[in-house]
Amino acid sequence: MRLVFPPAGLRLPRLRPYLPRPDDPAIFGLDLERKDILQEVVRRVMARCEARPGGLEYALNEVAFHESERLASGDARPEERAELPRWRALLHRVGRMDETERRATLRELASRMADDVAGRFDPRVYRFAVGVLPHLVGRLSRSEDEDGGTTRALDRLDALVQVEGPIDRLRVIARHATLVLVPTHSSHLDSIVLGYALHRHGLPPVAYGAGKNLFTHPLLSFFMHNLGAYRVDRRIRATLYKDVLKTYAGVLVERGYGSLFFPGGTRSRSGCVETRLKLGLAGAAVEAAARNALARRARSVVFVPATINYALVLEAETLIDDWLRERGKARYIIEDDETGRVERWVAFFRKLVNFSAACIVRFGEPLDAWGNAVDDEGRSVSPDGRRIDPVGYLTSSGRAAHEPARDVGYTQQLGELLPARYLRDTVVTSTQLVAHVLYRRLVRSTPGVDVFGRIRYRGDVSVPRAELLADLGATRERLGELEARGRVRRSRLVATLPVEVLLERATSLWSGYHTRVAARDRGTEIVVEDPPLLLYYQNRLAPFAEALADEANLPAAREIAAAGARP
Amino acid sequence: MSRMPVGVVGGGPFGRALAVAAARNGRSVLLWSRRAPAAPAPGIVVTDDASALERAELVLVAVPSPHIASIAAMLSRWLDGRHLLVHASRGLEGDGLRPLSHVLRERTAVRRVGVLAGPIVAAALEAGAPLGGIVGTLFGEVEEAVRAAIGGPTLRLYATRDVVGVEVAAAMVGLLSLAAGFCRGIGVGPGSLAVLLSRGMAEARRIGQALGAEARTFEGLAGHGDLLAAVAGDERPEVRLGRALARGLPLAEAVREAGAHIEGVSIARRVQRFAARAGLEAPVSATIADVIDGSLGPEGAIARLMARPAGLE
Repeated sequence: MRLVFPPAGLRLPRLRPYLPRPDDPAIFGLDLERKDILQEVVRRVMARCEARPGGLEYALNEVAFHESERLASGDARPEERAELPRWRALLHRVGRMDETERRATLRELASRMADDVAGRFDPRVYRFAVGVLPHLVGRLSRSEDEDGGTTRALDRLDALVQVEGPIDRLRVIARHATLVLVPTHSSHLDSIVLGYALHRHGLPPVAYGAGKNLFTHPLLSFFMHNLGAYRVDRRIRATLYKDVLKTYAGVLVERGYGSLFFPGGTRSRSGCVETRLKLGLAGAAVEAAARNALARRARSVVFVPATINYALVLEAETLIDDWLRERGKARYIIEDDETGRVERWVAFFRKLVNFSAACIVRFGEPLDAWGNAVDDEGRSVSPDGRRIDPVGYLTSSGRAAHEPARDVGYTQQLGELLPARYLRDTVVTSTQLVAHVLYRRLVRSTPGVDVFGRIRYRGDVSVPRAELLADLGATRERLGELEARGRVRRSRLVATLPVEVLLERATSLWSGYHTRVAARDRGTEIVVEDPPLLLYYQNRLAPFAEALADEANLPAAREIAAAGARP
Repeated sequence: MSRMPVGVVGGGPFGRALAVAAARNGRSVLLWSRRAPAAPAPGIVVTDDASALERAELVLVAVPSPHIASIAAMLSRWLDGRHLLVHASRGLEGDGLRPLSHVLRERTAVRRVGVLAGPIVAAALEAGAPLGGIVGTLFGEVEEAVRAAIGGPTLRLYATRDVVGVEVAAAMVGLLSLAAGFCRGIGVGPGSLAVLLSRGMAEARRIGQALGAEARTFEGLAGHGDLLAAVAGDERPEVRLGRALARGLPLAEAVREAGAHIEGVSIARRVQRFAARAGLEAPVSATIADVIDGSLGPEGAIARLMARPAGLE
C-alpha cells in the first residue's frame, strides 16, 4: 500500500553523506545516521504495538479510521484525498488479515510516516544560512549604508536580537550534555531567532519539529528541511503517527542531538506567557533522559528554559483575533497567516531593522528532566547542593527500570515547573509596557464591560499625554521593584529610556507594520485605536498586573490579571 | 516486596497513628520527631536523627503546614530520587494557596510525592478501626507504597492522579469542619447546616479548579466523604475548635481546647483573598474568616450568608 505524502524537501546533491568531525555538534551526523535512526524508531513503535494482545489490529484500525475520517472531511488537500480509497480498503481488510500481514502493513506505514517526519542536516546549508542571514536582514534595511560588509551586518543583527542569560555556563554544559531548549512560543520566527542566537553564542544547533504548513513555502521549506527540522502534521490524529513523531524526537535526544521543543504546543494566541503546558513532544526528551540515565550514558539531558520577547510580533494580529474567536468557541489551526506571506516578512524586517533590541532572547537556568539544578557538567544537583544519581528516579523497591507511566508523571511535573521559570525570565519590552498602561486605562474607562465588549471601543478612549506619561513612569518604577526582587526583567531600553521616548518607540513600532493602528499619538492625547492589539501586547504583563498598579488602577489590574490567569 | 523501613516524620497524634498503622502491617518504622517521645508500639524506632530516614523508601510527613518548608529543607540532605514523600496536611502555603506537594518538590530532590487525605482521624487510625482514605499522586509506585505501608483490612486506600484536587479538598474540608462545629455549637439545625456545607463545597470546588484541580475530586473521599465524617461526629480537632468558638471562647483559648494545630485558622482569610484576586466568589470562607478573628458573631454570620441572593445552583 502506497501513501502519498507531499514531496520531501529539496536537497543539495552530495555523493556521500557528510562525515562529521570530532568537534562537530552531534546533529552534523544526522544524514549519516538517518537510516539507522528511522529503523530504531520503527522498531520501537512496532514493539509497543505488539506488546498488547491485538495491538497490531488495533493500531491499523485506528490509523485507517482516523485517516479516512480526515481525508473525507473538508480540510484535506486534493492530492491527499486521492488516498482515501486506500485507507478505506485497509479499514475493511484489517479484520481479515493474519498477524504476519498486519505486522508487515503496520511496519510499512510506520516507516513511511517516520521517513516523512524525519529531517536532514546539511552542514553546507547551515554555514550558508548563518552566513547569509545577517546580510539578508541588512538588505531589507532602508538605511543608506547598506554595503557595510559582514561585520556591520552582524552588528546590526546583534543590535536587533539581543541574547541574555547564563550563556557561558550553557556553553560549558553543552560539552558534556545534550541541551534541550524549552522556550516560550509566540511566533514562527522563534525557531529562526533561536537558531541564530545559538549560533552567534557558540551553542550547538538544534533539531525541532515544525508544522507541516510551514513546509509549503519552497524557500522556507528548503532551509528547514536541511537544518534538522522535522515535519509535524497536526491534522493527523492517529496514535501511530503521534507515536512515530514522539519516538523520533526522543531518539534524536538520546543520540545527543540538541533539540528544541515548544512546551506550549502552539504559539500563544493571547500573548500571555504559557501557564499550563501540554508538553507533548517535550515528554520525549524526558523519556530520553530516563533511557540515557539507565544506560549509564555519559551525556546527560539538560533542559534550558528560555523566553523570546518581541517588541513587535510578526503574527500579532492573526494570533489575537484567533484567541478572540476561540473564546467564541471556534478554535482552528491557523493555516494561512503572516508567516506564509513573503511580503509580510519583508514589511516586518523593514520595520524592525531601524530599531534595536526588537527581540530579546533570554536563556534561563538549566535543569534536568526531574526539575533539579545541574552543575557545569550537566549532572543533577539536589537543592542542598549534592550531586544526585538520576537512576534513583527510575528505581522502585530497589529495582531500576524504565517505566513509561512514570515518565508521564515526571513530564507533567516539569510542565508545572516551567511556567514559573518563564515568568521570572520574561523580559518586558517597550510595546508591552506601553500597551499595558493604555489597556489598563481602557479597562478603567469601561467598567462592567467584558473583553468582547471592549474590543469595540475603537478610538473612543483617549488619555491626556501628561497623564499617560505619569502612569507609564509610575508603572515602570513598580516594574523595577519587581525586577529587583527577581520576579521579572526589564529590557535595557525599558529600564533606561525617558518615558516620552518609550511611548514614541512603542507607537512608531506599531505604526506601519500592523495593518491596524494600536494607538494613535495625537500630541496632547493618546487614542486607544485597536483594543485587541493592545490586549495582545500587554498580556505578557497580565501576571504582574496587580503588582504594577497603584490604588486607582487596582480594580482594572485585577480584571486584567484574572483574565490573564485563564488564557 | 520491599522490606525497607517506613519513615514517618512528625511525633504528633497523626504521625504516631501512621507509625502504629505501619507497625501493625509488620513493617519496621522510623519515626522522626524533634522531641523524640517513647515508641508508641513495638517495631517503631523513634529518632531525632533525620539521617536514619535515608534507609526508608517511603517517608510519610505529618507535620503542620507552617513547618513543612523547614522540615523539607532538613530532609533534603538525606533524601533523593529514590525516595517517595507523602504528606497528610490540610494546609496550603501562602497567599497563592500553594499545594504542599509543590513545596516538598521544591525543597527536596524527591519528585515522587503525594498526599494522604480523606476521613482518617488519628485515634481511629491508631485503634485500627475500619477506615478509608485517598492518596493523590501522579505515580503508581507511591500509591502502592502507601497501601503496602498502612493499608490493609482496616484501611481501604483509593487513589487519584489529581494531586492538587486532593490537597485543596483536604484544606477546604478542614475549614468547613470548623464551620460545622461552630454551627452545631450555636444551635443551627441540620437543614441550614446542609445548605452551608453544600455551598461551602461548591466554593471549595471553584477554588480547586482555579488551581488546576478536577471538579469530581471534591465529590469523592477527599471532599464530600471527608466532610460527611466531620458532620457525623468523628470528633476531629477542627470540629472541636468550631464548638469552642461558638461558646464565645477567644481564638487562642479555643485552639488550646481543640488540642492540635488547625490549618483552617490561617487558611480562611487567605482563601478569601485568593478568591477575590481570581474573580471568584467565596462567601463561606470570608464569613468563617470573620468569625475566627472575632469580627463577626454567630447571628451576624448566619444573617450575612442568608442575605446573599440565591440563583441557579
